[in-house]
Amino acid sequence: MARQFRDIEDVIERLGRLGYVADRALATAIYLLLNLGKPLLIEGPAGVGKTEAAKALAAMLETELIRLQCYEGLDLNSAVYEWNYQKQLLAIKIQEGSDKTVEEKENYVFGSNFLLKRPLLQSILSEERAPVLLVDEIDRADEAFEAFLLELLAEFQITIPELGTIQAKRVPHVILTSNSSRELSDALKRRCLYHWIDYPDLAKELEIVRVRLPEIDGDLSSEVVRFVHTIRDLNLSKPPGVSETIDLSRSLILLEKTKLDQEAAEETLGCILKSADDLTKVRSEGLSRLLSRSGGS
Amino acid sequence: MSRPRTKSIVEFCRFARANGVSAGTKETIDCLQVAEAIADADRDTFRFALRAILTSSADEWVLFDDLFTAFWANPDPTSESLSKNPARRRLAPPSLRHESGSRMVTAFGNGSEPEGEGEQKRFSGASAVERLRKVDFSQMPQTDLAELERIALRLLRRMSYRVARRLRARKRRGSIDLRRTIRRSICRGGEFLDLCYKGPKKERAKVVILLDVSDSMNPYSFFLLKFAYVLGKYSREVKSFIFSTILVEVSNLLRTPRMSDALRTLAQMTACWSGGTRIGESLRDFNAHHAAALLSRHTVVIVLSDGWDTGAPEELAAELKKIRRRVAKVIWLNPLLGLEEYRPVTRGISAALPFIDVFAPAHNLQSLLALEEHLRPGR
Repeated sequence: MARQFRDIEDVIERLGRLGYVADRALATAIYLLLNLGKPLLIEGPAGVGKTEAAKALAAMLETELIRLQCYEGLDLNSAVYEWNYQKQLLAIKIQEGSDKTVEEKENYVFGSNFLLKRPLLQSILSEERAPVLLVDEIDRADEAFEAFLLELLAEFQITIPELGTIQAKRVPHVILTSNSSRELSDALKRRCLYHWIDYPDLAKELEIVRVRLPEIDGDLSSEVVRFVHTIRDLNLSKPPGVSETIDLSRSLILLEKTKLDQEAAEETLGCILKSADDLTKVRSEGLSRLLSRSGGS
Repeated sequence: MSRPRTKSIVEFCRFARANGVSAGTKETIDCLQVAEAIADADRDTFRFALRAILTSSADEWVLFDDLFTAFWANPDPTSESLSKNPARRRLAPPSLRHESGSRMVTAFGNGSEPEGEGEQKRFSGASAVERLRKVDFSQMPQTDLAELERIALRLLRRMSYRVARRLRARKRRGSIDLRRTIRRSICRGGEFLDLCYKGPKKERAKVVILLDVSDSMNPYSFFLLKFAYVLGKYSREVKSFIFSTILVEVSNLLRTPRMSDALRTLAQMTACWSGGTRIGESLRDFNAHHAAALLSRHTVVIVLSDGWDTGAPEELAAELKKIRRRVAKVIWLNPLLGLEEYRPVTRGISAALPFIDVFAPAHNLQSLLALEEHLRPGR
């Protein structure tokens, strides 16, 4: 593809302007994705901005984001294409009286009007610009699907028996995300660039919060980030991610709090803790103690 | 690109590969290509780029930085003098020595693989897993259990994918449900566009696990508990009990979201741990209090025990017979079956044998994975 980006600095800067704080490593990976034409596999805990990275990339390239959310039992019919059977049957019925030949009728019924395009097919049909294809949580799909995806990523073509083979005009930029709930196949990993996103450090998370919520008070944002970091260290079953930090900040703004004191923390605890066990654990540690610990550091 | 630089990048790729990064020749070529594209970038960018290309898992990701530093101890990666240091190949960063997976493999391999001098013997992921499957639980040092647990989870997850929920066109879809088809056709003006079918309802096998935690089972029971835990996650229809001299239901305990918490609580229930075994009595207790609610034609009962019973063998036989009559299958998993010299001649076991459908070993992961065969629904 054409080199639209001078260098990695350029990528960082453009992503930053779109509100996505990318560190150098991720920017490098994205730069390579664009220049090598390889898919990028992003792994990491929940809520650290894996999906956001794809959205930001699409925005940066000013192109369409096509998202395929994987789940257990995902099959080709919901990932690639499906014929609209009901519409086909109706069309057959409507044509009953017409004097078209059987062949014409068939061609009509298996025309693209009756094809339901699912994300993977959509991604290779783009005419203008190469879209960004986000295959979200690939670890949730089963291995048969993974194998199919591997084939698609190698050839960027899809065969539909009734229509023939469709070759991608613009090869999409592919980002895959995984929560590593299951080991992915070596073949798929080998084909991809790899990036691991971990929870950001204090400074970076603070930057993210301030970029996403420019209206937030400076002291409040650092209180929030430090508090979340303290909680993350507690070894919970569902540690809060960056999106939880942002939720918490947003809630505090909405509730017109200017300080994260015990009362405010108690009221908004649901923003960052998503399981009863974790809530119990944090309460037993004592909110005021946690707050003072995070304030002192 | 200058030749010395090309050479050192190729050497680095080989070095990384020798130390457990699973990158192939294609990746080496990509590295060279990229190194050219970002020729004037700084050292960190260079490292990030190579890392994105060469690694493919979180473990490798961590390992990579050490490898990179070890290889290019000199701040300038392009310098020619670097690639001449022969000692570098033996450099194993400290993190490598802590990698429990590979260490265990070397420690418990079949012995025919002598450790190379200085150079660490490495296996690719797949073969390491293969070996681990065959390691007897009783020989597993406590510290390596975490690694084993990770692999067990991974294998069991794989197993659960075999019964995925994916739908497939079947040749026989059962008979057409006319009533519903006609009802549906009304909104289409009487055309039968959606056909409704009816067929036998499929039920998942229910599983009851009875785990022996007496003294003689000690080397195995902790691991088998983990197995019960994972199985409980895999299917909601799993009920677990532990017994030695008394029987205790632990199904709910094992549903605690975190395995370590569940096991810690269990470890504190000292009353049930170790001591002698009275299988017969425990089964009688089970029959008296739980059988009616849990056993049905769809239930598979798994007993995990070595069969060393201090109670009367007649009682064991009688109680097991009662269970057998009510369920689809009784599976007895015996860790001792993994030993070559073992013969099932203890009185308890020989009395129980007539009422057991599957009598199989359970001393390593491979034997547990073989269970999949018997747990498949509809068999």
